[in-house]
Amino acid sequence: MLQIKPILAALKRHKAGTILIALQIALTLAIVCNALFIIQQRVQRLSRPSGMNESNVLAITNRWVAVNDKDTASLTKTDVQALRQLPGVEDAMNTNSFPLRGGGWSTGVNLVPKENGKPAGQTTLYFVDEHALAVYGAQLIAGRNFTADEVIVADPKDIKSTPQVIVTKALADKLFPKGDALGKQMYLSGKDVPPSTIIGIVKQLQVPWSGIWANDFVENATLLPVQLTGSYGIYLIRAKPGQLAAVTKSAPEALLKTNRMRVISGERAIRTYEKVREDAYKNDRGMAILMGVICVILLAITAAGIVGLTSFWVGQRRKQIGVRRALGATKHDILSYFLTENLMIGIAGVVIGAGLAVGLNLWMVTQFEMARLSAVYVFAGVIALLLLGQAAVLAPAMRAAKVPPVEATRSV
Amino acid sequence: MLKMTHLSKVYRTEVVETYALRDFNIDVKEGEFVAVTGPSGSGKTTFLTIAGLLETFTGGEYHLDGVEVSNLNDNARSKIRNEKIGFIFQAFNLIPDLNVFDNVEVPLRYRGMKAAERKQRIMDALERVGLASRAKHYPAELSGGQQQRVAIARALAGSPRLLLADEPTGNLDTQMARGVMELLEEIHREGATIVMVTHDPELAARAQRNVHIIDGQVVDLAEDPRFHHAQHTAHTGTPA
Repeated sequence: MLQIKPILAALKRHKAGTILIALQIALTLAIVCNALFIIQQRVQRLSRPSGMNESNVLAITNRWVAVNDKDTASLTKTDVQALRQLPGVEDAMNTNSFPLRGGGWSTGVNLVPKENGKPAGQTTLYFVDEHALAVYGAQLIAGRNFTADEVIVADPKDIKSTPQVIVTKALADKLFPKGDALGKQMYLSGKDVPPSTIIGIVKQLQVPWSGIWANDFVENATLLPVQLTGSYGIYLIRAKPGQLAAVTKSAPEALLKTNRMRVISGERAIRTYEKVREDAYKNDRGMAILMGVICVILLAITAAGIVGLTSFWVGQRRKQIGVRRALGATKHDILSYFLTENLMIGIAGVVIGAGLAVGLNLWMVTQFEMARLSAVYVFAGVIALLLLGQAAVLAPAMRAAKVPPVEATRSV
Repeated sequence: MLKMTHLSKVYRTEVVETYALRDFNIDVKEGEFVAVTGPSGSGKTTFLTIAGLLETFTGGEYHLDGVEVSNLNDNARSKIRNEKIGFIFQAFNLIPDLNVFDNVEVPLRYRGMKAAERKQRIMDALERVGLASRAKHYPAELSGGQQQRVAIARALAGSPRLLLADEPTGNLDTQMARGVMELLEEIHREGATIVMVTHDPELAARAQRNVHIIDGQVVDLAEDPRFHHAQHTAHTGTPA
């Protein structure tokens, strides 16, 4: 039996409690919708593939000490050879950075020489050798790999470009939307930069950064066949399956055995790729957990508020419930009265809450460059809040339904 | 209309059994106006709550409008309360959050009646108790007598076969009580069956028949020694 009109009439006489609960539902909806949206975005980023075969990869950050920069190229070459010969190592290379490392190089990229102005695209630069694709476990989908004689030695301050480059498909498509990037020339931004010919395209390689600011070029990477000189470098090592733990121990030892004039220390000096990913998304994971906890707390408080208010109303209306039962209400009628009452307060709350959710999101869009909230989240939030309300009101409503009709004859 | 045979109601605790009604027999015919009297704690209200299916009984039989009610489930009892019984309570028991119109509408809504028919019945019932002009007022805005009239309208709106009144004038002053009693008499003259529990001998005298309850049993006042004993005690003012 629909009891909307008398329920509305009764609610009008209990404005304070009704408005407070409706507002609580509204605020919860607004915050939960946006929090879930943020969680979804963070989770989406957490699960974004790096383009590498991430298992069995080890990164060692090396800093030469008291070594002339000119000599580092040959020392690095010796190191890499030593690493490749280690039992348990499948391949190894020296590089300036790698996907999700947290720091690296980026520059503009163009179809014509360009020193200033907005570039056609943005790319990260990975200085690697012909072993890079094997170490990454990246998939070459067009063209070829570098050859050993294409790898040049260069000072980081002098390097402008290389004659050959391998780019990711995302960058290739950005520069050449028709899909004919292979064999074409591109220019890294800068003064008098020689052109680079795209000799290969890899399916995917993420930039070193995981922040929102890199979203626009997250898969735009350029591999240059360069062995950089200088005191700083990273050894990226692919271990044979099941050998990562052993290599994690043996590789730093082998490097120190080769030459002790180096520093390999600090929290981030020796990291498996699993740790690299964990570090890269630490903030995202933390934010997602925080938002999740906020959602749970808010929903629990709202549910507790509904249980509390309904329990209070049931206690307050005990006599009235008895009268209704005496006048012919079944237990189901009483149960449905309280469920309907809660549903009506809930509907008022979610209508206000949906507006607040969109408003809050628009404010965050302007203030924090957040993405627009999808209507799906608002809709899902509305349904979730209404169901939560019904679940919260069920126990006190069932208590109300158990009030016997003889309660009508008892004096208060 | 209402027939109880050897009916008993026992309230049990872990240590004691209390008989509220014991071997209780009563037969109220259709169209009768019966006043039920008796001292406090005699079982009058228990009788009324069982008669109105507000409570179950422990033993015996109870036929209401030809139906044996002891084995009915809660829903069936609710349906009978809604369709066949009209209640008038001492404390009026109007719902304070609802106006007069909505209060009278409560039992009709539980019957699933259409809005137009509900409205017609409500206005007829309010007209009959002289409160049609107060339909939009809330109970707190009415006098006690007016509230009881609204309660009577609520009881009448569903056209019940049996009207049960529990001290209907107990919370009213003499003038208002007289007005309510005249209304009940008028309703009875129109053919309603009324069972009224009262303390007031003057009101009881206006009923067609009086039933006296002492210690949970219906007694014949002329023959029951407890009545004479009670009278004696009342006259001398000293216990036996």
